[in-house]
Amino acid sequence: MEVNFRKIDIDAYDEDVLLETELYDADPRAPSQVIEETKAKAVAVRSSLNKGDITGALVTILDNPPYGPGVDEAKNLTLQTLVTVLNSTKSSDIPNVVKSLPLESQDILMKYLYKGMAMPGWGDVSGSVLLGWHEKLTEVAGTGSIVRAMTDRRLV
Amino acid sequence: MSNVLRPYLAAVRSTLTAALTLENFSSQVVERHNKPEVEVGGSKEVLLNPLTISRNENERVLIEPSVNSIRLSIKIKQADEIERILCHKFTRFMMQRAESFIVLRRKPVKGYDISFLITNTQTETMLKHKIVDFIIQFMEDVDREISEMKLSLNARARTVAESYLIAFNP
Repeated sequence: MEVNFRKIDIDAYDEDVLLETELYDADPRAPSQVIEETKAKAVAVRSSLNKGDITGALVTILDNPPYGPGVDEAKNLTLQTLVTVLNSTKSSDIPNVVKSLPLESQDILMKYLYKGMAMPGWGDVSGSVLLGWHEKLTEVAGTGSIVRAMTDRRLV
Repeated sequence: MSNVLRPYLAAVRSTLTAALTLENFSSQVVERHNKPEVEVGGSKEVLLNPLTISRNENERVLIEPSVNSIRLSIKIKQADEIERILCHKFTRFMMQRAESFIVLRRKPVKGYDISFLITNTQTETMLKHKIVDFIIQFMEDVDREISEMKLSLNARARTVAESYLIAFNP
């Protein structure tokens, strides 16, 4: 007897089924525009870093980050740029840098820290550097920031 | 606690504290059922983003939060074959007695060595910070336990080999 029909997920055909795209507002920018912006930001970050302005570099890269499907290249570039900034910061400077970040940037930085830790060994990602930043960021932004990283569906 | 391990455990502690905000939530599919949503995985809106905390490729923790339960999986450091065997035996021993540990899961999540499943009933009957302390204490102890076992195993092997080979060297 044919029993395969039992394995069909009938809930997927329900008319009020919840789709992935309904969980958050889609990025209004087109994928090509996102990658252009990210590349421009990477250049801006490099020039800020040369001037020694770490806070400025972080604010630049954490502003309007790419999210949603179809922008993997931009996401990777953002993470890579961010990791260079994080790696080049002296550990004694971290608390002051974190304190001077606006709230929104702190939350996005938290998301990127978890993203970086989820892929150890990728590029220049170093666990101990990210953990150091995570500790300082949690001291400043509290567990609320972690909760926001957990609940925000706009995955970076 | 060693200084290198501290930021790692601190990160796990803060993430776990943030994730342990659970509430009672009945199943959306079956009436009068109440299941841990992270295990059922049936609906997207009650599952939150899983978070990973890692020191390196071999040492990481995965925390999967949901509305009424969280699952925490640990990958324990295993440097060589002996540590791998010891770790396997050790975690297996505990997972077979999972009900005595209450929050322990009987099987680890794929890619990890040991998993914990904490539901809202457990956070209601037990103190939340004590659960967090228990997990952190476990993570501290398991590394030490395994390296101690490895040392005593090596010492024992050396003694056995010596007393065996002494027969050939009168």
